[in-house]
Amino acid sequence: MKKANHKTFLRMLRLLSGCLIMQLFAFHLLYASDGQEQDDQSVYDIKISLKKERYRLADVLSEIEAKTDFSFTYDDSKVRLNSTIWLEKKEGSLGDILIELSKLEDIKFKRIGRSIHITRKIAAEEPVEEQAAIVKPMLLVSGQVTASADGGELPGVNVLVKGTNIGTVTDIEGRYSINVPDPNDTLMFSSIGFAIQEVPIRGRSTVDVALLEDVQSLSEVVVVGYGSMRKADITNAVSVVDMEKIGERPASNMTTLLQGQAPGVVVKQNTGTPGEELEVNVRGISSLGAGSDPLYVIDGFAVGNSVGQYLNPADIESITVLKDAASTAIYGARGSNGVVLITTKSAKEEKVNLSFNALYGVQNIPDSRRTEMMNGPEFAQLKKEAFMDRIRYYEGREPALEEVPLSIRFPEQTEHSTDWLDEILNQNASFQNYNLTMSGGKGAVKSVLSLGYLNQEGAVIETGFDRYNIRANLMGDINPNISMGWNIAGAFTQEEYANTTGRDAIIGSALWADPRYPVYNEDGTLNPYIGGTDGVFGTPNPVMELKEMQRDRNNTNILSNGYVDFRFLKDFSFRSSVNVGLTNVRQKEFRPSYLAGRGFNNPPPREAWLNEFYSELINLSTDQLLSYDKTLGDHNISAMLGFSAQEETFRTISSRGEEFPDDVVRTLSAAARVNSTSEEQGWSLLAYFARLNYSFQDKYLMSATFRREGSSRFGANNKWGNFPAVSAGWRISEEPFLQNSLIIEDLKLRASWGVTGNNNIGNYTSLSTMNPANYILGGNFASGQVLAAFANADLGWEQSNQLNIGMDLSLFQNQLMFTAEYYQKITNDMLLPIEIPVISGFQTTFSNIGKVENTGVEFALGYQTSINELNLRADFNISFNRNKVLEILGENDEIRNGGFYSTYNVSVPGRPIGMFHGFRMLGIFDTEQEIDNAPTQDGAIPGVYIYEDTNGDGVISYDTQDMVEIGNPHPDFVWGLTLGADYKNFDINVLVTGAQNYDLFRNIEATTLNMDGVFNILKEGENRWRSAENPGNGWIPTTNTWKWQRESNSRYVYDGSHAWIRNVSIGYTIPSFNNSRVFLSADNLLLISQYPGNNPDVNQRGGINPGFDDETYPVPNTFSLGAKINF
Amino acid sequence: MNSYKLSFTAFILILTLFSCSEDYLEKTDPNRLVSDNFYETEEQVAQALNGVYSQLQGIVSSQWQYNEFITDNTTLHFNVANRGQGPALEAIEFWQINSNTPNITNLYNSIYGAMVNINTTLARLQEATFDENAVREFEGQLKFMRAYYYFHLVQYFGDVIMITEPLASPDEAWEFERQPVETVYELILSDLDDAVSFLPASYPDDETGRVTKGAALSLLGKVYLTRKEYSQAVDVLTEVTTLGYELLPDYADVFDPDNKNHAESVFSVQFQGGNELGEHSSFIYTFAPRESVGAVIDFPGQNGGGWNTPSLDMINAYEEGDLRKEVSLKEGYTSLEGEWVPIPYINKYNHPHAIRGRTDDNWPVIRYADVLLMLAEAINEVSGPGDAYQYLNPVRERAGLAPLSGLSQEAFQEAVMKERRVELAFENHRWFDLKRTMTPEELADFMNAYGEVEKSQPTTDRGGIPFSAGDFRFEPYEALFPIPNDEILINSNLTQNPGY
Repeated sequence: MKKANHKTFLRMLRLLSGCLIMQLFAFHLLYASDGQEQDDQSVYDIKISLKKERYRLADVLSEIEAKTDFSFTYDDSKVRLNSTIWLEKKEGSLGDILIELSKLEDIKFKRIGRSIHITRKIAAEEPVEEQAAIVKPMLLVSGQVTASADGGELPGVNVLVKGTNIGTVTDIEGRYSINVPDPNDTLMFSSIGFAIQEVPIRGRSTVDVALLEDVQSLSEVVVVGYGSMRKADITNAVSVVDMEKIGERPASNMTTLLQGQAPGVVVKQNTGTPGEELEVNVRGISSLGAGSDPLYVIDGFAVGNSVGQYLNPADIESITVLKDAASTAIYGARGSNGVVLITTKSAKEEKVNLSFNALYGVQNIPDSRRTEMMNGPEFAQLKKEAFMDRIRYYEGREPALEEVPLSIRFPEQTEHSTDWLDEILNQNASFQNYNLTMSGGKGAVKSVLSLGYLNQEGAVIETGFDRYNIRANLMGDINPNISMGWNIAGAFTQEEYANTTGRDAIIGSALWADPRYPVYNEDGTLNPYIGGTDGVFGTPNPVMELKEMQRDRNNTNILSNGYVDFRFLKDFSFRSSVNVGLTNVRQKEFRPSYLAGRGFNNPPPREAWLNEFYSELINLSTDQLLSYDKTLGDHNISAMLGFSAQEETFRTISSRGEEFPDDVVRTLSAAARVNSTSEEQGWSLLAYFARLNYSFQDKYLMSATFRREGSSRFGANNKWGNFPAVSAGWRISEEPFLQNSLIIEDLKLRASWGVTGNNNIGNYTSLSTMNPANYILGGNFASGQVLAAFANADLGWEQSNQLNIGMDLSLFQNQLMFTAEYYQKITNDMLLPIEIPVISGFQTTFSNIGKVENTGVEFALGYQTSINELNLRADFNISFNRNKVLEILGENDEIRNGGFYSTYNVSVPGRPIGMFHGFRMLGIFDTEQEIDNAPTQDGAIPGVYIYEDTNGDGVISYDTQDMVEIGNPHPDFVWGLTLGADYKNFDINVLVTGAQNYDLFRNIEATTLNMDGVFNILKEGENRWRSAENPGNGWIPTTNTWKWQRESNSRYVYDGSHAWIRNVSIGYTIPSFNNSRVFLSADNLLLISQYPGNNPDVNQRGGINPGFDDETYPVPNTFSLGAKINF
Repeated sequence: MNSYKLSFTAFILILTLFSCSEDYLEKTDPNRLVSDNFYETEEQVAQALNGVYSQLQGIVSSQWQYNEFITDNTTLHFNVANRGQGPALEAIEFWQINSNTPNITNLYNSIYGAMVNINTTLARLQEATFDENAVREFEGQLKFMRAYYYFHLVQYFGDVIMITEPLASPDEAWEFERQPVETVYELILSDLDDAVSFLPASYPDDETGRVTKGAALSLLGKVYLTRKEYSQAVDVLTEVTTLGYELLPDYADVFDPDNKNHAESVFSVQFQGGNELGEHSSFIYTFAPRESVGAVIDFPGQNGGGWNTPSLDMINAYEEGDLRKEVSLKEGYTSLEGEWVPIPYINKYNHPHAIRGRTDDNWPVIRYADVLLMLAEAINEVSGPGDAYQYLNPVRERAGLAPLSGLSQEAFQEAVMKERRVELAFENHRWFDLKRTMTPEELADFMNAYGEVEKSQPTTDRGGIPFSAGDFRFEPYEALFPIPNDEILINSNLTQNPGY
């Protein structure tokens, strides 16, 4: 095989699986078009000396290619390129070596000219067959084949004159020349990893072609748990995220890259906080108590249920999401929420390559996505009207203007009008990202070295995120039987953050702060205290708080994996790997004395305080994998035995300092009073696992895995759990009746079942621990202890059983690909704090109870085509998940979170997890008479909401008794659409995501429509109820009272359905400059939704309490310009 | 095949290296003790007992809600703007309690949360191998605590679940039913009898703060009084008078943190401010007016919670010249701007302290003044006022008031109740005193009369917000609190108090 300058990830993969593969149709013969000396020699006359005895098949073929002028062609579905072979003789004639290979691998060779074609050998066929080249020159056509994505030259592309068996292969520079019988013939270009392209010659002598990549090709190798597999062999629900199709997203966290990419994988950007990790959920919320975050595995190292902020997205080569139990059961007690496998770029045998990527963008919160509040005069007008309306209602008379307090008597004379939200937004906030990557490997050691820098200013002033990344991925062969690899990555992040989420934090208070106050005093200093007059709550100046409150977090992370691979006997290999993750976090918060206090009405000066926090996390693991791989005729077996041990330790120190003599020296040593605590947590696991894959004629596929895992987290009687899984597949397209179909390229039916677990229950839940509870005796400290929990030695594993049925269909030479999945996942024995009678001394105890079901269907559709020089592609995925609690403890049991004034998320058997509960709002009372005729609402006056008496007792009691389900936070379906097109050197990518028919509880409106005048309110509040004659829009209550307005009720439930154009990227490739590239990208470009909030992805409570919005850090859109320069 | 041998050797080596034993999975909590091997030594039992005392700190700190706030003694500094406490605290003040009222649930939970530690320690004490006297002293203190809590439970809830042993597993918690008040009292009396006989009259200085024989006798006296067993009450309370307790000459000194555990203190819950130990109290932070901004609590910008505000009815209950009034409450404060703000607050627990939020005040549970007034009440019931004046009048005289004489038995009883209200103001006696001396119907009439007064002239300004129709409407059934609804939902053996 010839070495080539392959730049993209895709072609690296192709190299891996054996490059320069010619895809021959079964009945086509290939004729070489020109001849050289070796054309006349028999393979038995050509002497060759190979370097070693032990090879992978692919390696021996490429060595023969390097040492002779022959090139091999084969259909890689018929030839096992990864098989290990052991030659008896490494010197001799090429013919003899081919005969030996034929014996070892059950293959036969057919030599035509300089090509040797390999097929599966049937019974007594000749192992090596030679045929003279036939050359009939007519019209010589030549040209160059490149890849459309980056213009890179494509060697080894199969060029065939359509309808004939005349063909050739492109050379190392992607050039070819071919004699065609007729100038009106059509050339067919095909290559593994690319879509077949037909180009009519129309009499030209030069035909250049750019091939469109076809990454969903069946030969693609997919990373799976503890190994990799050909896509064609996979019988599980596995989604591969195509890094090439994502477009140029300015991603500060790798989770962004998952948005809209895989069916069943829902990615939500809960807030716009710089650098934030997105919420990833695979196939619904399945646990009531142990979380639903997937397991992240980076280069084989299971780092946990968060991928953190340290990974550089530019270092990622591929992402695979394992969705069904059969694919995740190999991860045992951490597999039930799906597994995200991330592989970083690995070194390839190629020439030294240096590339530099740069991106610069600006971020903005568009006006259409801002919450509009009243301005100064409008708010003063509201206060004035509220004052007068109150006298009108309670005293039944018309107030005189003189009664109105002077400060609100003449609203039009209001001196200041501040838009606090606008003041804290950082318009045109910059986003910068630079990466320098060097890769190369000529000789024993191959390496990828990368440097990265990211700077994201926040869309809110005085917030931002910086990250410095460095990575070295090295690998090399010690001898033919031993190879080693080592990845080491370091990251340092600096975050300037703010407390932004919720009504009582910065964003919320910027909405409700009194707009009649200025940001700055007349002398130019910041005005520290806003409001506090006319009954409006006083609050710190949000601008000043952002500027003057110090909040910094630094995160240092080192992630390193090393492995040694031994190959021994004939078919065995053994890999031993060690993984280390170290994370240190240092956090500092200082609140100077001149800031007003948080909460309501706490004017400055206050006492300054300082919080310092330091933590270290040490995560160590080791895996030992013994693999066996064997092909015997039609049977292909691969087996793996493994052992894994992992241990994590987490230590923290946190200190609080108070009583600072000044605001200048901000260290603990300056504080007169310091209070410190420290804590340590740890867990460990041991696991033994096995996998067996078997296939017959590549047609019938079977796989089984088993894992036995022990965890320190479980009770003494239940330390070990078993996690079996099986799956099977039938490639119908390999059956004789479909094998020659011109329409169906591939059709596979598959089914899987497995058991997985979830061990996210905290570290010491099974122990009966004690808490310190001290006392004072004789004026001195007396240490004491009280019970903290019941012991539960039986505490065991939460288990999920998942059934998956899937179909993969590929039509029209892979132009159209379709995947459908159905799954049913039932989670049992959840680790839940169940309520027990408090006479036991405890309100809850952990127990294995409850049952949750998630069922769903997922579809993925991919289409690509070429119209002359225009290449088009579209990928669409859609997933429907239905979630249902089957059982908690008893029939009446429920899990209720939230509050009376902020809605409840309630999980009850028979309903989906976390439904909103509250009063059902029926309208607004217009008259006293209506109130008298309605069920009793104690304290109701005209202008408040009418609630439904759902229990029919004639009273709306001021508690939860009349509260019912008022909203469903689970979408009917979510979808993602990726569109791409290339024309000449231009390309465009569009990503759209959406979710349909789900509810959000917009809790902030209980504040921004709190009419009793303590907060500024929405501009919309002008349409409030004022009297029966002037009832406003029927949607906003009176200013005369506080009761029956703010309680959790259906008024605040909104439909969150949306379509979101997440990204549009336009790029231009400059072939003359090593295919360097420039691009423009618009991220989060357009949100189409009726939802009034900034972000319909919001999920402030998280977990089993979805869909709560109390105003969070807004999500900006980003326009950026970037370049990729190759040297 | 050299490389083959090498790799095989390495394979074996690595297998050996990483073959882990089961110990690898043994992880215990490094931050906490585990109970399985606790309660064995004298020191450990002492720690468990300290834990029991510690839980009392939390319970007495929120007891004002159930014993003062609900009564005619106190109301709230109405928060016109922030109506967030509606269903919780305000439900108690305005008698809108139902079985979902969270603070009633908290009360129930906290008492049973303490009970498990008492029962567990008592059970483990049966196997104790250390000094027998120490065991008896521990047992006496634990039984006092158990009696104290059950006495509270029956007064708040009526029939309650009686649990006296730790549960072997959570499942057993479903096997209990409410026991009649009488049965619970049998336990209370037997526990207190043990406590009286096991407890010493005093402790060495370094153990001051533990319950004494005097405390057990006083509580026993209160139990008898509550059960209207007056002669037994007279007997045990008279025994207290022989133990060396006396009234302090100055009422203010009784609450002064510089003067803790004085001769008048029979049992107080211990707190300590001024340090980082976390054993401080913070009563004044709850009771001070809401927007006093440093004018009441002497720290810059410091507000109070505005809760447990003395009602006008309470302020008016003091006789002219009563020295206790100025100590116990203030009718308003002068703001930092120099303006008089007429929002009353409890002043008993307002003392200078070095660290914001960490006061040094102890909480008085039983004072000798209480014992004297109980004795006066009991003697009056047994034999009329004659012999009872000697116990009532010293309390009045200390307060600068004229001694009483020549009262009828009924008038004397009334005088004692009036005296208790002002002498023991804001010390969490009022609710039980009212319940003890009235039938539920009488209580309802009494409360509704007070409610009418408070509605027509609220102690603090309501900013024009009217009362709801249901506010301050007391029904006789409300003399008992509801059993928390959660408990009934979980355990169907439980019944609810009538009316809820």
